[in-house]
Amino acid sequence: MSATAIRDLEAELGGRPPAGLEALTDAQLSSFTDALHDAKLRQSEALRSAVEEALEIVPRLVRGPVRKILFG
Amino acid sequence: MTSLLNVDVEIIKLARLVDREPKDLEHLRGVDPQDIRDLREQVTVVMFDADRQMLQRVASATKLIPTKLAALIGERAFGPLLCARLTGLLEPSRAVDIAARLPTPFLTDLAIELDPRRASRVIAEIPPQQIAEITKLLAERGEHIAMGGFVGHLSEAALRAAIAVVSDEALLRTAYVIESKGSIGALVATLPTERLEAIIATATAAELWIEALDVLGHVSERQRGQLGDIAAGQADEVLDGMVRAAQRELLWDDVLPVTRAMSAESRARFAALKSIHTRPVLASIVDAASRHSLWPELLQLLPLLPAAARRRVAALGTGFGRPVLQQIVGAAHQQGLWGPLLQFAAELERRTQVLIAKLLAAVADDVLDAMLDAVWEERLEPELAHLASLLTSDEMRSFSERLVARGGEEFVAALREAAEARELADLSEALAAA
Repeated sequence: MSATAIRDLEAELGGRPPAGLEALTDAQLSSFTDALHDAKLRQSEALRSAVEEALEIVPRLVRGPVRKILFG
Repeated sequence: MTSLLNVDVEIIKLARLVDREPKDLEHLRGVDPQDIRDLREQVTVVMFDADRQMLQRVASATKLIPTKLAALIGERAFGPLLCARLTGLLEPSRAVDIAARLPTPFLTDLAIELDPRRASRVIAEIPPQQIAEITKLLAERGEHIAMGGFVGHLSEAALRAAIAVVSDEALLRTAYVIESKGSIGALVATLPTERLEAIIATATAAELWIEALDVLGHVSERQRGQLGDIAAGQADEVLDGMVRAAQRELLWDDVLPVTRAMSAESRARFAALKSIHTRPVLASIVDAASRHSLWPELLQLLPLLPAAARRRVAALGTGFGRPVLQQIVGAAHQQGLWGPLLQFAAELERRTQVLIAKLLAAVADDVLDAMLDAVWEERLEPELAHLASLLTSDEMRSFSERLVARGGEEFVAALREAAEARELADLSEALAAA
């Protein structure tokens, strides 16, 4: 385990990972860091497209106020 | 006691959070389960907070549209994962109203993605009937881990409704993976005796004693006793199933506390089981008692075992050193088990008996008083006399003086009588001279 691999995971987690993870190899740590990074990206993308789709469903009458709450 | 955390369960939960298969996180298997749980807590925060600003805005915007439309949008546009992220951000009563308009399969998918701790108020307000419908589907899908996450958050009525729709096997599997182990007692408390009997029989039929013993490790002492009594009332095959599982998985440190909590009658029934009288099983039980300081539990069982089994335990005790014997003497004192200890000591080989005699001769006055009370009440003078006779002359003289000082004349007379009956002249003389 290198300091870089732990730092990358720390950046994704926003905090120091549990000490036990230091026993993992760099490749294992990076694999988990990538999984977390991808999951966050996928979630953000899913939310973005869900909001767009929701706006299509919301009746025209309230679409403006809803849009205002969502995007300011 | 088995680990409070199960590494498989922790990996499954973590994999779900990062949308991977558990096999993708196999390399975590060597990591301490508590560390995996801590990591999962961190990842949960990350995933629930990643888009928090936008999710919060969506939750606010939901107030502008009718419930029916909110449910439609939730189902069509957001899907179960994002709805799970949103649930805790909605006004609970509003979330419950929306949930009432969503189909059960959708809510089941949502439940799998939900962090119940972040939506506890919503979960508590969902009607029991709806909880039962969701639970039924979760159970059909084998989602015991998801079900286990909800237990501590359900109202009693909802918990009862959920329990009513799942099989005994699903209930055991769920109890094993309950997130808040402290809730297991509340779960058990809702179950009638007949259901508990069926669950215990299922533990053998479905080979789920690991799960069942884990449950027994997390209930109150009173419940442990109640469940132990129910188990002891089962047929031999059921209990033999438990013995096999305990032996195979080395779970005697889970079983012994159950024997402690059960009634004397149940304990006698357990001790009479042929399957625990074999040398390998007895060796595992003695080993568990030694490693987990469960000597009181073992001492309680010993007098109930048949003579042949007791002799096997005594043979195993041959290897006990002074520190272990000291623990056993301490346990006998703390739990008032002098009778079983002295009777067991009588069956040990001489070298170990000498070690015990030396320990007894050196105990503090309050411990000696308690032992002498037990000897007097249980008429154990022959056993004590035999042990005392194994001491050296100096030790015997000194111990005799203490016996006279602490036990009184009547007690010493009874002890001398026992010594003479056993032709222990040295001890009899030492007692007379003291």
